[in-house]
Amino acid sequence: MRKFINGYYRLLNVLLGVSVGVLILPVTVQMFSRFTQLIPAWIWTEEMARFLFIWMVMLGAMIGVRDASHFDVDVWPQLKPRPDAMLRLVSMMFVLVFALVFVWYGIKFVQFGWSQTSELADMPMPWIFVAWPLTGFTWLLFGFERMRADLRILIDGPGPDVGEVRRDIGTGSVV
Amino acid sequence: MTGGALTPGMAALWLFGPFFLLMILRVPVAFALGLACLPVLFFEPRLSPMVVFNTTFKAYNSFILLAVPFFLLTANLMNVGGITDRLVTLSRTMVGNFPGALAQINVLLSVFFAGISGSSTADAASQGKIFIEAQVKEGYDLSFSIAITAVSAVLAVIIPPSILMVVWGGVLQVSIGALYLAGVVPGMLIGLAQMATVHVYAKVRHYPTYPRASFREFFSAAIVAIPALMTPFIIVGGILLGWFTSTESAAAAVIYAAVLSLGFYREMGRKELWHALLETGKLSAIALFCVGTASVFGWLLAYYQIPKALLANVTAWGMGSIGVGFFIVFVFLVVGCFLDAIPAIIIVGTTLQPLAESVHMHPVSFAIISIVALAFGLVTPPYGLCLMISCAIAKVRLRYALKDTLIMLVPMLLVLSAMVVWPEIPLLLPQLIRPEFLK
Repeated sequence: MRKFINGYYRLLNVLLGVSVGVLILPVTVQMFSRFTQLIPAWIWTEEMARFLFIWMVMLGAMIGVRDASHFDVDVWPQLKPRPDAMLRLVSMMFVLVFALVFVWYGIKFVQFGWSQTSELADMPMPWIFVAWPLTGFTWLLFGFERMRADLRILIDGPGPDVGEVRRDIGTGSVV
Repeated sequence: MTGGALTPGMAALWLFGPFFLLMILRVPVAFALGLACLPVLFFEPRLSPMVVFNTTFKAYNSFILLAVPFFLLTANLMNVGGITDRLVTLSRTMVGNFPGALAQINVLLSVFFAGISGSSTADAASQGKIFIEAQVKEGYDLSFSIAITAVSAVLAVIIPPSILMVVWGGVLQVSIGALYLAGVVPGMLIGLAQMATVHVYAKVRHYPTYPRASFREFFSAAIVAIPALMTPFIIVGGILLGWFTSTESAAAAVIYAAVLSLGFYREMGRKELWHALLETGKLSAIALFCVGTASVFGWLLAYYQIPKALLANVTAWGMGSIGVGFFIVFVFLVVGCFLDAIPAIIIVGTTLQPLAESVHMHPVSFAIISIVALAFGLVTPPYGLCLMISCAIAKVRLRYALKDTLIMLVPMLLVLSAMVVWPEIPLLLPQLIRPEFLK
């Protein structure tokens, strides 16, 4: 199972990195077609960029749960490992509730858009909408993995290697 | 959009109550915002959780927000491309002979970096690593070093390009080109205020200084750094000349940065490039995901007309334009202590917009005073990201550098107050260069 999660995580990372790199292309094509006569002014470049962007956001949101990099506001004093793990378990439980909503209503969302196509490129909209339930599934997967680790801390106490599990501050915001 | 089953007051209670509760339980803000919407969405017969999907889809399906990953990628490419070292050298030749030289270099580098990146946290992280240790070695106090690194990093979102301005322009329909121009003068003034603060500190505490650099040294440092310093002119100039939209200008900056790092500075390999792409994706996606859930929350606030109800009292106070300005600044300063700036814009910015309109405040000056106030929120606890990052790099608790940070904030707040009293300060450049942007 762990191997599967690691592989899946790596795949998501590759997809995310590629999507950022590829995102440049449609916007560049759009600029080139305006200033030169080399390529025609395809109107779908703008839509292409937007849809890629949606996937990029959702992929990053999935990965963020495993990295624990979605930013939170910490109003607690520095907690001991056990209460800290307890608090993480509680907050992860709420994240999983949101994940379930994403799965359940996300599937409805895909069904709702089943026969829709995009305005410009005539692309089937489910290709985009499916990102939502998939995000929910991925959160469940990564969320349970993290909860297992925290449960272990709660039951067995912190191992020698997990003494300093400070979260990576500042990875959660671009501002 | 009128007449939900809940009164505005009840709806506000049901939205903000769960939100704050979840935040205290350390649920990530993006999830807390989304989850807080659920009770109301289930309860209100005319709504369903499908609102979450339609609204997040609409939020992400935005060509304007595309600029966010592009700006971040530009900064990352420049960083791994070795541009930071060149800018440090240039800053040193410019302000190295001032009292408190290294701290002055710290501020000036933030000004330069602000023109390249639109992200304060990126600035705090990279400069914290360079300066904090180096300053302490030269005899500067640690808390002073942390504080000046943190407060100078906020310039990144005030001097164009700025991620906050892109989000503000996209959400509240203001010309991003105008916001960029309007940010220049306030950013420079705040930078000068910080340099003055450093000067006073350096005089009182006898901080060291470097020998004056020769003009030749300055010249050769400038030649190397100029290509990187052209970035803001490409971004802002491209928009002003009507060549690019704001998103396209951000993409052009990415291409420019890639060409510079690969071709001119030549310090970037394939591994560094991949790292820059991945880091950009992770960081921007997490922040942008929050834009989506914040939009759902904001949509519900509007649905129940909560802003109107909240502002009914405030309007009755009969404040003038300046009073309203200070009120807006105050609200954003308080909100900035607790909330990330992007959701704050989506939720509070849209809430306060009618108030600003009611006293005929110019949309651009409303945007700039709000963005500057939110930028100051990056160094105010408990949720002051730049201060948190600087403290994390120095391995001390946030409280340690708090006093110096608050002292440094005083002159910055004076600049902000001046902007409220004289809205001409931010509006000066757009009026001079592109008056049609302000209509």
